[in-house]
Amino acid sequence: MLKIQNLSKSYRTENVETTALNNIEIEIKKGEFIAIMGPSGCGKSTLLNTIGMLDSPTSGHYWFNDEDVANYSEAKLANIRKHNIGFIFQSFNLIDELSVRENIELALLYHNIPSAERKERVEKVMQQVGITHRANHMPSQLSGGQQQRVAVARAVVGDQTMILADEPTGNLDTQHGHEVMEMLQELNANGKTIVMVTHSPAHAEFATRTITLLDGQVVEPALKAVS
Amino acid sequence: MLIYNYLLSGWRNINHNKLFSSINILGLAIGLAAVTLITLFVRSELSYDTFWKNADTLHRSHIVFKIPGRDPFKAVSAPGPLIHALKKDYPQVTQASRVANISPAIMVGAETFIQQVSLVDKDFLTMFDLTSLSGDLTNALNDPHSLILTKELAVKYFGQEDPIGKTLSLDYDYFKRDYKITAVIENSVSNTQLPIKALALIDENDWTDRTSLFAQWFSVNAQLYFQTKNPSDLDHINATFDDFSNRNFPKLPIGGADAKASDFIELSAMNIKDLHLHAVGSGEMTERGNATRVFIFSAIAVLILIIAIINFMNLSTARASQRAKEVSLRKVMGASRSNLIFQFLGESVLVTFIALAISIGLVELALPFYNEVLNKELAINYASTDMLQITGLALIVGILGGLYPAFVLSNFRPATVLKANKSAESSASVKLRAILVVMQFAVSIGLFISTAVVYSQMQYAEKMNPGFNKDNMLLVHRIGLDVVSEKLDMLVKEISKTPQVTAVTWSNETPGNTNENNTMLRLPGMSKDDALLMGQRGVGYDFFATYEIKVLAGRTYQKERNDTPLATAQIREGASRKSSIVINSSAARRLGFNSASDAIGQSIFTSRGNPNENLEAELEVVGVVDDVHFDSLRATIRPEIYNLNATWGQTLSVRFNGNPDTLKTNVEAIWGNAIANIPFRYSFLRQDVADMYKTEQGQAKMFAAFSGLAIFIACLGLYGLANFTATRRTKEIGIRKVMGASVFDIVKLLLWQFSKPVFIANLIAWPIAYWAMSDWLELFVYRIDNSYILLLSAIAGIGALLIAWITVATNSISVAKANPIKALRHE
Ligand SMILES: Nc1ncnc2c1ncn2[C@@H]1O[C@H](COP(=O)(O)OP(=O)(O)OP(=O)(O)O)[C@@H](O)[C@H]1O
Ligand SMILES: [Mg+2]
Repeated sequence: MLKIQNLSKSYRTENVETTALNNIEIEIKKGEFIAIMGPSGCGKSTLLNTIGMLDSPTSGHYWFNDEDVANYSEAKLANIRKHNIGFIFQSFNLIDELSVRENIELALLYHNIPSAERKERVEKVMQQVGITHRANHMPSQLSGGQQQRVAVARAVVGDQTMILADEPTGNLDTQHGHEVMEMLQELNANGKTIVMVTHSPAHAEFATRTITLLDGQVVEPALKAVS
Repeated sequence: MLIYNYLLSGWRNINHNKLFSSINILGLAIGLAAVTLITLFVRSELSYDTFWKNADTLHRSHIVFKIPGRDPFKAVSAPGPLIHALKKDYPQVTQASRVANISPAIMVGAETFIQQVSLVDKDFLTMFDLTSLSGDLTNALNDPHSLILTKELAVKYFGQEDPIGKTLSLDYDYFKRDYKITAVIENSVSNTQLPIKALALIDENDWTDRTSLFAQWFSVNAQLYFQTKNPSDLDHINATFDDFSNRNFPKLPIGGADAKASDFIELSAMNIKDLHLHAVGSGEMTERGNATRVFIFSAIAVLILIIAIINFMNLSTARASQRAKEVSLRKVMGASRSNLIFQFLGESVLVTFIALAISIGLVELALPFYNEVLNKELAINYASTDMLQITGLALIVGILGGLYPAFVLSNFRPATVLKANKSAESSASVKLRAILVVMQFAVSIGLFISTAVVYSQMQYAEKMNPGFNKDNMLLVHRIGLDVVSEKLDMLVKEISKTPQVTAVTWSNETPGNTNENNTMLRLPGMSKDDALLMGQRGVGYDFFATYEIKVLAGRTYQKERNDTPLATAQIREGASRKSSIVINSSAARRLGFNSASDAIGQSIFTSRGNPNENLEAELEVVGVVDDVHFDSLRATIRPEIYNLNATWGQTLSVRFNGNPDTLKTNVEAIWGNAIANIPFRYSFLRQDVADMYKTEQGQAKMFAAFSGLAIFIACLGLYGLANFTATRRTKEIGIRKVMGASVFDIVKLLLWQFSKPVFIANLIAWPIAYWAMSDWLELFVYRIDNSYILLLSAIAGIGALLIAWITVATNSISVAKANPIKALRHE
């Protein structure tokens, strides 16, 4: 599915240069469920954003479906992104002014899909995540767990093959967190590739593989075992 | 100390949000400045002649001559004999005085001044409370040899010497008289329709040669003021004026035997306080105001204020969501709702006062230009209650503008706001803001359309062919005085010799400088009772050629032919000879000729002398000329005849080419050599014609300036709002981009959001502007087509849309381009 080689990312703010990712090598196969773990500030979100093509690496290679997208323009990346990758965020990031249904439909809005088909697909995913009874509610009228379910629905409604989730359970209580994890597991079982950042070892257990980051570098599984 | 805390937090808040604060303060400052300027103007307009002690019982009589076949002739002056009839018939009238402004020559040493003197009746001094600086006013006009001067003239003629008892010699051209100065009065104020420079008594015996001034019923050359016992007596007099006219006016020469004076004459009287804004008709001593104009500008002031307040409210409520956290925290710390309302109101009042300080600076900067355009001397009087009023206005604006935001802000529920990811703003406040934006746009678009229509009409008037060539024409005035008249021939010869000069003529009237002078005309078959009243003007040889007026048929006056008309005295003595006449095409039509050439060679009879003499002269139409606009485009062209004044006129018209200044200098030198004592007075025709539209032009300028300001303030507000919206929607835009939206998609989204209110605003503004402006255009007989308003509306609509787009685009492109993760990172 994707392969990352020698990839580095550094931020320059005034005089300080922060290296968020340092010579990362990762390969993720289709159908995998990856958990990324590591202490705060180690570069997890940066890695996820790079994988999600929301951010471009400073150097290195990034093959997505055998295309090296590392130096693609923003517009090109956006096009690949919208057809292949769905996002789930810690703070849900729903649009306050839109209803549940409209929030989900948003993911199809920029896909040139006829209105009738859009409606149909939105109904289907709402059923999948069990939010149909709240279709006309505004995000502010939903609980966190419900909001995250809407976000999940939004991430998959476009038939994206890969889902990136940055601490999807970070703002949820144990029970709702568990529900979301089960949802992700089910999606994975249905063939979606999932890459998830989490601080919870328990939630990492849902994944098929865990990648641990430390100071912008991938920690070898062997080392992890030692510690 | 709470207040201190509020002020501090208010100040920090102003400082913190520099963009919002500057937009808010600038918008308000401009708004307040505009409103202050307009208020100064309106207040001055409303103050005219309210200061007289007897203002409530002082009135002026007006007259309308309803002339068949043309526009009624309206005058604010009155027939000379009216004063006697009024005093005789109405016991309510306690005092009355005519005021006739005459311009005699005053010799002081070697110098000659042409000075306006007001000739009045004796009651004048007891009707009007003039302020004496020296001399006793009660006995100041006891005889026709007494003269009262204003301080200005006293200093001009006598310097520092005491003028009381000194003598001035006035030359009225008809007679000369030595006057003794009996009193000096304060200079006339600017807010009066009765500006006095010098006062002397009317003695009707002086003017027996010129009966039109004080003795004729059908000439109106002097104004007539009268005082009644009670203010309400005016209503009674107005209600009974028709009967009064029928009793007192002599038999009219028109309308047949049964005609009553009231069929053709309409007398009315108006209180002195209403004259400036409401009087209608010619013969005013100084420029009148215009009630519609005062209303329009008051309305613009209110609109500007509304726009400024809307801005204020919009920006504050918009920002409310950003301050939701602060509010919630304050509430958690124990602030009550009223505490918060007070705080936010305090803040807006603080902003308003900063704006107020700036606005006063702006007003002071603008006043010199403003006064020049309006020809006024307006000023803020800091010692009077002016400051109090302006401060009060600012307070009202601050409170009005702050009230709604204060309620919105103080109403936030901490639980809702502090819980992450909740929108702090209620949908009601979003909706209100949308409505306010629509209103702002509607007002701005409406103002733009109106300004554009006014401007287009002015352009139209300027560009319209008046029927004569107004360029390259120098006018030399006051050639009617005896001393000049004697030398007219020589003057014309000398001026014609100047290389720059191509033609010279003279006439009694020139465009923009006209009098109402009518005569009765009839065709041979017509009875005298059916005679038609038409305008007449006196012109010299070459008049039509010099003015380049088109001759439609026949010829114009020629020296080699015997075109000179018979003098009235000759007709009295029984002379009868056909003399030539040139008429305009309207007159030919009114007389019933099918075409201009049909009129050539036809005879018409014109009345001569006093109406009761029944004298007529027979004229033969030798030429028909094109209709020309001697008067403003407000008036229809009247049917008129052009009498030949073979040897005299009031104004010399000199057609030239090349440098106007050189020509003026040369002509002035010729004048100086020929005529010793009379100062040279000249003007350029182009300017005279433009002056006819001076009021409209000043109005148009002021209108444009204030509309521009209103639109500018609205744009400022829009800019702030667009900026706010873009910032507020940063997160939403980030999400949309993650979902695959392109920069173009995002900009499109925001553009559409701001286009909607513009469309709605157009729907509101167009019909109102169309209705108002087609009504305004009705004032002009010659005007641009109403379809123009639609065209200008379309331009205004597109302009507003473009402005909205530019504003939104400049604010949103950077946001739309930003990396979405930045937007989504900070929550
Ligand atoms: N836009 C940016 N500009 C400058 N530095 C940044 C930027 N984004 C991230 N960084 C820095 O890069 C490093 C990695 O950040 P990142 O957000 O990827 O960490 P993380 O592992 O996701 O942490 P957390 O678990 O707290 O979310 C940090 O040191 C952070 O300060
Ligand atoms: Mg992170």
